[in-house]
Amino acid sequence: MKNVVMITCPSCAHANPDGAVNCEACFTALPIVSTIQCPSCQADVRSDAKFCGHCGFNLSNILGDDLGKTEDEGLGILSEAVSNNLPSEVITSQTESVAVPSIHTTSSAMSNTLPNEISSDDSGIVINPISEFPTIPKFTDIEKILAAEGNEPSLNTPINNIFEPELDNEASNEKAAPMNASINSSTIARTQLQQFAASLLHIQTNLNIEIPAHLAVVHIGKPNTVIPPDIDVSGFPDSDIVSRIHADIRTEGGSFYFEDTGSSNGTYINNLPLSAGNRHKLRAGDRISLGKGDKVSFVFQLNT
Amino acid sequence: MSVNLNCKLSDRFLDSKQSSSQRQLAIALSANASLDGNNTLLNLCLVLDHSGSMVGQPLDNVKRAARDLVDQMTQQDRLTVIGFNHKASVVVENQPVDRTESIKEKIQSLKASGGTCIDDGIKLGLQETSKGKDGTVSQVFVLTDGENEHGNNDRCFQFSRLATEYNMTLHSLGFGDSWNQDVLERIADAGGGSMAYIASPEMASAEFQKLLKRVQSVNLTNAHLILQLFPYVRLAELKPIAQVSPDTIELNYQTEGNAIIVRIGDLMTDIDRVILFNLYINPSTFISAYPGKSDIPILSVQVRYDIPSLAQVNLLSEPEDVSLQLIQNFVPQVNADVQNHLLALAKYRQTQLAEQKLQQGDRAGAVTMLQSASKTALQMGDYNASTILQDNATRLQTGTTLSEAERKKTRIASKTILQSPKES
Repeated sequence: MKNVVMITCPSCAHANPDGAVNCEACFTALPIVSTIQCPSCQADVRSDAKFCGHCGFNLSNILGDDLGKTEDEGLGILSEAVSNNLPSEVITSQTESVAVPSIHTTSSAMSNTLPNEISSDDSGIVINPISEFPTIPKFTDIEKILAAEGNEPSLNTPINNIFEPELDNEASNEKAAPMNASINSSTIARTQLQQFAASLLHIQTNLNIEIPAHLAVVHIGKPNTVIPPDIDVSGFPDSDIVSRIHADIRTEGGSFYFEDTGSSNGTYINNLPLSAGNRHKLRAGDRISLGKGDKVSFVFQLNT
Repeated sequence: MSVNLNCKLSDRFLDSKQSSSQRQLAIALSANASLDGNNTLLNLCLVLDHSGSMVGQPLDNVKRAARDLVDQMTQQDRLTVIGFNHKASVVVENQPVDRTESIKEKIQSLKASGGTCIDDGIKLGLQETSKGKDGTVSQVFVLTDGENEHGNNDRCFQFSRLATEYNMTLHSLGFGDSWNQDVLERIADAGGGSMAYIASPEMASAEFQKLLKRVQSVNLTNAHLILQLFPYVRLAELKPIAQVSPDTIELNYQTEGNAIIVRIGDLMTDIDRVILFNLYINPSTFISAYPGKSDIPILSVQVRYDIPSLAQVNLLSEPEDVSLQLIQNFVPQVNADVQNHLLALAKYRQTQLAEQKLQQGDRAGAVTMLQSASKTALQMGDYNASTILQDNATRLQTGTTLSEAERKKTRIASKTILQSPKES
């Protein structure tokens, strides 16, 4: 499952032949894109990724725990890397994952939990795959401690809400697998991205839709085979004027940008047309209308 | 006397599943001096610029530096001094350094006047030096402070190449800030020598001494690397061979049959010359022919060289085989030394590209390239070079142009390692 794709040098644009590691012209190390399969959602992810970009699964940590297991080929390659002690990233992740359980035992054993120990636990998003291995001692104890300290961020909300509206089933079928996975991971992982959370309030039904916080690009539209929508509007009245691939919301540096991805009936922001290719930086209170006639409209809200 | 040859691969393992893999081979070469009793004799030629711009302190310092060199040489060594402005003349005829006082007097008689014609100086230097080239190591130092306005740069490069055919080595020294670093670099590269930068007159003596120390440690000359590649191995298409240490030089090669021949030139006893080869290996034919074998030979290396002190030419070293190890679950295991050589070449090439972009008027591209070069220098632990390169990038970014002195400093920073990484 390791495919190497050669590209032209990002530094000097020299086209290098297959197998090149350093650019022939400027000797810059070339980015070699090799992919492995995420053991959780089976999506292709880059072999140097620490987390799966699709489901948030912690790849580095599972390798640290699964050192002996090589039934998955993708895993085999990486765990080989760990045992061969080479790429530094993998080594650090290995030591990280080894270190984490020891922190757990000490912090749960000690009655006077120091604040920095809590924070080191807290920052350890690495906790998540451990929960799948009940052998790790006293995970629930820490969970209780964390809950008691009030450090538990309740970030299981954003994606769940998308499923609450009466979206038709075939629409959710397609995305069900990755979505479910991401719900799992976000509830366990406590990703602390809440300060960026935003939502769209559908004006016609007064329904609030959270914008999935873990996605850099949120696709808005209706079910299709090319780009499955992250926010599916097919359940809303008058959704026939919305294109299947209608618009994207991009998150960059904490800001949200709205862009029309070539819809048939256009997008209007604050009643002004948003021409295709233009981005609009969203501010709280912006009114977004998909299609003409202000029939499928949203108000952009920031949840702080 | 023999050759020290040390081959290192960027990664000695090879992915048996990958159809084509890139590897770099670093070959370190030096002369093994231990077996030799009699010292190699030096046949040194100084080609000194005494054009009008050298008037005053610059020429005085150069003359003093040249006189200091005379004191450092033994009586059997030979010396030639050529002075040139827009014309060239013999100042000290090729002779043994036994009457030092008369030689020094002749050097002292140089007066600054006239224009600059480097090629005539080099030509006369080669003619005069060739009289004493038998049984000696012939080295030519060309010092200039200006553009070659009365000469022809292409003629300079031709003479440089000619020098290597006569088994003489040409080094160039740039004095002050108004010389052309492209011309002097090409003279030195074609002549098999090094390029030095004398930023201020006081540094003349130090740079001369440094260069003298280098040429005095030359024991073997006219060295050629001969590589026999196996059929499933090929050189990279673009600039596959370069020297990366002590300074970076792009090297040309010739092919004879399936042998690749690269001229290296002088071999020193104390300094390794490291040559980097960029190779591609397609192991599939080998694997199908020898399915069980894990060792895959890729090439053999031989050195052809002369021993001037024994008047022996075209000696061949024992061939050394280089092989890789085929493995199934390949994981890169990069050799740190070779990686540093790679970075040295990357730094040089990136700076060169930056200068090209600057000449084309692509300022933004040049800044980006300089920044990558600076980052590369940082990765090698060459903090001084990194600072110089980053400063240049910043200067360009703010819209100012680089001064001539800065451009020279940049060239030297890219070509040599200003600060070697601390051994830890």
